[in-house]
Amino acid sequence: MNLGCGNGPQAVFKYRPTTDDLIPEANKAVTKTLTDDFGTPEALVAWERFPINYGGVKGTVASTEGPSGSITVALEGDSSKISKNASLLWVSGSQAGGKSAETNVKGFNVETKTLQLASGSSTPSVGDRFVVGFGEDMQLGRVVYMKNCMHCHGVTGDGNGPTGKFLNPRPRDYRNGKFKFTSTQSQEKATRDDLHRIIQYGIPGTYMPSFLLLGERETTAVVEYVRWLAIRGEFEKRFVEELTNDYSQTAIKDSTDKAEKSYLEKKKNKEEAEKPLNLSKAIKAAGTAFKKYVDDKELDGAVEETANLLASAWTQAETPEVLIIPTSQRVEDTLESRERGRLLYMSNTTKCYTCHGPTGRGDGAATEDFWDKPGTSVKYPNRGLHDEWGNPLKPRNLTSGQYRGGRRPLDLFRRIRAGIKGTPMPAFGDTVLKEPQVWDIVNYVMSLPYQPKQPTAVKHPAEVVANNEEKPAN
Amino acid sequence: MHWWFPGDGNAYSTLGGKIDDLFYLILVIVSVTFVGTSAALGYALWRGASIKSDEKVWFSHGSHSLEVIWTIVPSAVLLFIALYQLDVWAEYRMKGFAKEKDGSPKVITVVAEVTARQFEWRIRYPANGKPLKPTPQPDDIYSVNELHVPTGGLVSITLRTDDVQHAFFVPMLRVKQDAVPGKMIPVWFDATMPGKYEMLCAELCGWGHYKMKAMLVAQSADDFEAWKDKASAEQFDDGYRKPAE
Ligand code: HEC
Ligand code: HEC
Ligand SMILES: [Cu+2]
Repeated sequence: MNLGCGNGPQAVFKYRPTTDDLIPEANKAVTKTLTDDFGTPEALVAWERFPINYGGVKGTVASTEGPSGSITVALEGDSSKISKNASLLWVSGSQAGGKSAETNVKGFNVETKTLQLASGSSTPSVGDRFVVGFGEDMQLGRVVYMKNCMHCHGVTGDGNGPTGKFLNPRPRDYRNGKFKFTSTQSQEKATRDDLHRIIQYGIPGTYMPSFLLLGERETTAVVEYVRWLAIRGEFEKRFVEELTNDYSQTAIKDSTDKAEKSYLEKKKNKEEAEKPLNLSKAIKAAGTAFKKYVDDKELDGAVEETANLLASAWTQAETPEVLIIPTSQRVEDTLESRERGRLLYMSNTTKCYTCHGPTGRGDGAATEDFWDKPGTSVKYPNRGLHDEWGNPLKPRNLTSGQYRGGRRPLDLFRRIRAGIKGTPMPAFGDTVLKEPQVWDIVNYVMSLPYQPKQPTAVKHPAEVVANNEEKPAN
Repeated sequence: MHWWFPGDGNAYSTLGGKIDDLFYLILVIVSVTFVGTSAALGYALWRGASIKSDEKVWFSHGSHSLEVIWTIVPSAVLLFIALYQLDVWAEYRMKGFAKEKDGSPKVITVVAEVTARQFEWRIRYPANGKPLKPTPQPDDIYSVNELHVPTGGLVSITLRTDDVQHAFFVPMLRVKQDAVPGKMIPVWFDATMPGKYEMLCAELCGWGHYKMKAMLVAQSADDFEAWKDKASAEQFDDGYRKPAE
C-alpha cells in the first residue's frame, strides 16, 4: 500500500553546474572519481585520506593460538562497541586490501579478548592490524542527517533541500568547505566543536533550529557527516576548477567564438589567416587533449593535490594554533570603554558604520550600493551586500541583541578577529586592531541593544561634516 | 493504575493530581452513561425483536416525563462537573492574579520568558536575584530547548510566540497553554520532584511541529541558582584563561 507517503525519489548526490558543463570525457572522469572516492548516498565510500572519524574500533592481533577462527586481540577503543556480525577490515598484514579484506565477527569474549571470526576466513598473523565496524559512525551520521537536516541542507549538502528554497537566509551550502561562525583564524576551516555548537544551539534569528536533544552520539556522528559532505563538495569544486579552463564547454565555446571573430576580422583586412576549428571539432580536439592529460597522469595528480590540500586544511583546523583565544581579559565594560569602542566603530579604520549603520541598525551606506560578484566585474542585480554563495545578506542589526554565532563576548571577539567567513564582514586580524581595542568594540556592540532608542543620537560623520560646511560664515 | 498517562503515569505537580482526579471522575460518568445507554439500546432491540404479534407496543415518542428526565439528568451532571471543576480551573488560570486569603500577594517566582518559534523554544531568564523584565536586559541568561525551573513552590513563565500559534505542553506536569501571537501569557505551575520532563508543542504550527520537543529541568532552588550562575558564567565567557605558571 502506498498512501501519500511513498518512498520518495531515490537519494542522489547532485553535481555542480560546472561539472555538468565539462566536455563528456572530462565529465565522466570527474563523476567517476567522485563516485569511486565518495560513493553514493546509499553506498558511502570512506576515503581514509581525510581526517574524518568514520567510526569503528581499531586493534592488533596479539595471538592466533587457540581454536581455528578465533584470535586474541589488543583493542584501542571501547570493546562494548563491537557487535555481532560487525564487519572486520584488515588494515595491515597479508590480508589487507583486496577482496578478502573484510570478514565478519561471529562473537567477542570481553574477558579473554578473543574474537571469533566467521568460518572460512583464513587466519591472520600476529601483529596484523584491523578495524571492527569501520564506517559505523558515518552511517549513523547519514541516518541522522537524512532524518533531520536533509530537507533543508539537501542530500548533497548544497542547501537545496525541498524546504531550503523557502528560507531566508538560505540553509548553508557546505560545498564551499566554508562555515560562517567559527572559532578559527579567518583562512581556516571550522572545528568539530564549532559545528557541534551550531547543531546543539541552532542559529538564532534563522531557520537553523536547535538540536539539543539529539543525543551526544548522534550529534558527533552528524558533525562528521557534515564535515565529510563539506570535503566532498569542496573536492568537486576545486577539482573541476582545475579542468574548467581547458575542458568546459563554455570555455571552449568562448575561445572558438573569439578565434572565429579574429579570423573574420583578419579576412576583412585581407590578411592571411587560418580558419579556426568549429565548436564540435574543438570539443573533439579537447577530448583528445584530455585523453593525453589522463595518460600523462595529470588527472591523478590533480586528484592527489586536491585531496592533500583538503586533508591538511581540515587537519589543521583541529590544531590549537589556529584557534582564536584572547590573550587578555575582556576590558572592563565601562562607559569609557564603550565610548572608545564607539569611536572605533565610527572610524575609518574599521568602517563598521558603513555596513552596520551609524546607529547599529544594519542600515549603513553599503546596503544601498551595487556590489560586484566576487572575482568578476559583473554587478549583482540588486542593491546591498551578498555572501559568497550569492545570497543577499543584510549586515546585522546590532540593536536586536541577536547574535547568530553566539552571544558570548568571546564569540563577538572572534567575529571581529576572523570576520564572518564567506561574507563581506571583514576580518580585522591582530594588526589593524589591538586586543584591548577589540574588547572596547565588543563592549560597545554589546551595549547597543540596551541603548535608549534615539534615532538621532549618533550622526553619520559625513552628515556632521556637511552640516559644518553649511554653517554660514558668521 | 495510571499506566496510560504520560511518563510513568504520575502527575509531578500539585494541581496535576487534581486534574487527574477530574479526568477519572469524567471517565466514570461517561463510562456509566455509555454502558447504561448501550444496555438500554440493546434491551430495546431485543425487546422489539422478540415481541409477539398480538402484543401491544408501548409507544414512548412524545412522552413528556421522559423528555424532562433526559433533559434534567444530563444538565444536572454537566452542571455538577462545571461547578466541581471550578476550583481547579480557578487555580490553574485565575488564582495567580488574586491575593492570598490573608491579603498578602501570592508568591509566584517568575522564572523566565519562553518564546516559541518555528521550530524551537528560546528562553530568557533574569540574572540571579533580579526580577524578569518585559524587555531584554544586559545580564539576562539565555537557553534554548531547555527550561530550568526551581521545585517547591509556584513558578510562572511568560509565554510568547515569535510567529504562529504554538502551545506549551508539559504532559508530566499536566500543564498546557496556547502561545498566541502578540500576547504575553503568564503560565504558572509547580514541579513537585526534581527531574527532567518532556516539553512539547501541542499546536500544529507548521511542517516542523514535531521538532519542537524540548526538556523541562526541575531542580531544587539551590541547584537552580547554581545552574543560573554557571550558565551566566558561560554566557559571559571572554575566553581568556590564565596561563599556567
Ligand atoms: C529548517 C531548516 C534547517 C534544518 C532542518 C537544518 N538546518 Fe542547518 N541551517 C539552516 C539555515 C537557514 C542555515 C544558515 C543560517 C545562516 O546563514 O545564518 C543553516 C546553517 C547550518 C550550518 C552552518 C553554520 C555556520 O557556521 O556556517 C551547519 C553546520 C548546519 N546548518 C548543520 C545542520 C545540521 C547538522 C542539521 C541537522 C541535524 C541542520 N543543519 C538542520 C537551516 C536548517
Ligand atoms: C563590509 C560590511 C561590514 C563591515 C565593514 C562590518 N560588518 Fe559586521 N557584519 C556584516 C554582515 C554582512 C554581517 C552578517 C553576516 C551573516 O550573518 O552572514 C555582519 C555581522 C556582524 C555581527 C553579528 C555576528 C553574529 O554572531 O551574529 C557583528 C557583531 C558585527 N557584524 C560587528 C561588526 C563590527 C564591530 C564591525 C567593525 C569592526 C563590523 N561588523 C564591520 C558586514 C560588515
Ligand atoms: Cu509549535
